Amino acid sequence: MKPPPLKAPPVSITCRDLTLRFPVYGVDAKSLKKHLAKITVGGKLGRHHGATDVTAISHLNLELKAGDRLGLIGHNGSGKTTLLRALSGAYEPDEGSIEVQGHIAALLDLNLGIDPTATGYDNIRLRGRIAGLSSKEVDARMDEIAEFSGLGPFLAMPVKTYSAGMQARLAFAAATAVEADVLLMDEWIAVGDADFQKIAHKRLLKLVERAGILVLASHDVELLRLYCNKVMRMEGGVASAVTDIKKLDELLAA
Amino acid sequence: MDTATHMLRTGRRGPLFEVQMALRDLRASGERIDLAWSLAWHDVVSRYRGSILGPLWITLSMGLMVLGIGVLWGELFRVPVQTFIPFVAVGIVFFGTVTTTINEGCDTFVQAAGMLSQTSLPMLTFVWRTVLRNLVYLAHHLVIVAGVLIYFGYWTTANYPIAALGLFFLVANVAWISMLVAIVSARFRDIPQIVQSITQAAAIMTPVFWLPDRIPARYHLILDLNPFYHLLEAVRAPLLGKTVAAHTYLFLAAMAVVGWALTFALFANTRRRIVHYL
Repeated sequence: MKPPPLKAPPVSITCRDLTLRFPVYGVDAKSLKKHLAKITVGGKLGRHHGATDVTAISHLNLELKAGDRLGLIGHNGSGKTTLLRALSGAYEPDEGSIEVQGHIAALLDLNLGIDPTATGYDNIRLRGRIAGLSSKEVDARMDEIAEFSGLGPFLAMPVKTYSAGMQARLAFAAATAVEADVLLMDEWIAVGDADFQKIAHKRLLKLVERAGILVLASHDVELLRLYCNKVMRMEGGVASAVTDIKKLDELLAA
Repeated sequence: MDTATHMLRTGRRGPLFEVQMALRDLRASGERIDLAWSLAWHDVVSRYRGSILGPLWITLSMGLMVLGIGVLWGELFRVPVQTFIPFVAVGIVFFGTVTTTINEGCDTFVQAAGMLSQTSLPMLTFVWRTVLRNLVYLAHHLVIVAGVLIYFGYWTTANYPIAALGLFFLVANVAWISMLVAIVSARFRDIPQIVQSITQAAAIMTPVFWLPDRIPARYHLILDLNPFYHLLEAVRAPLLGKTVAAHTYLFLAAMAVVGWALTFALFANTRRRIVHYL
């Protein structure tokens, strides 16, 4: 994949010494601490300021610029999703800093903001508004989104009447109707039946191509080879150095 | 697109920095007030989807309550219906706005958990959402107020600008209380129950269903120290053609300033933690 042309304000992600701890309220994990610290699933448990907490990301440094497609690999609970959420701006670092230049689009949970009792149109509108589009911009894109979803007259019906596949189509169509400089994805999204998967794949690729930076967390190594040019491995909240995708095997073996 | 094109998130850098970040959240929520409005409107529409009268249902049930209490209690307290029904009608409508905005405030952040944990939307957007939603409901209930004021002839003597000023004080205060309970409820899930008990007690202790001049002078502290009384009186008195005591404005202004300062300080301090509470 060729890197896209540079946009006016350069797109970039900079994380410096990023540490994220999740306080766990109402649970005293003290007695479990020693056991849990040794296993590979999840971050490190510890205590800060008297509350039990999990260190989800510890002292992470990351520098990405336009054209970078970063793949994230690692066990469950190694901090991949946390990193994506932190990059989306939802989490405040406990130490260090995150700086992102460019419009961020986080395709982490397609069902974000979907209201089953509302109609398809209303849901597209709501989702667009949450993603940062103005009412006018949503209206301008409505036809395109509606057509892409292929739901036709069903868009005027409440989403709860949809089948799971139809719901996924709607969510996908609405969520991918954004323009993003920085695209964050937790696993490559594949929804719908065989036909829809094909066009969905194309649409996603287009979005990825337009975006300056892609960060994709996945357990599928082949997928990462296909879409990414760099890779980083997370383990217990500690990140490896960003390496070229060609060295993925070495990284996995390490 | 008006999402942040530049996002900076850092670790704690001292109290001043935290206040600055909280102010930034406030500014961002102001710039995107139309988003809060969209969400509020969506809430109103979706709550009454499929019902014919929609939000007017609460208006209708409130109207019946006004009628019932106005007539029966008016008889019990030996107050003429002409004075009692307008008093109760205005009281129920505005006191309802106060209590539901506060009660629903408990859910503000809890409900928005999904959005807060994967977007950089300003947190205060969700506070405004709750407040705006309740203002939409209030707009519906004003039908009752207007109907009663016109029917009993109060509309000629009502002082609307002063009532609007009172409404401003009411919203300014209710907003911080709603935000305060939103933050605290996110952290401690017992708070919603406590808040509901308090608002329920307030409904009894505050002259909504009874006339304040019936209270013996030695119990006057129940009125003077009751924030709900002052909130209500600032709007109700001018609508019923009465004057608002100067100390009511003083009380409300002081309450707004102190309340906002405290709530904002709490927000600045807990802002980065709230998403983890959920």
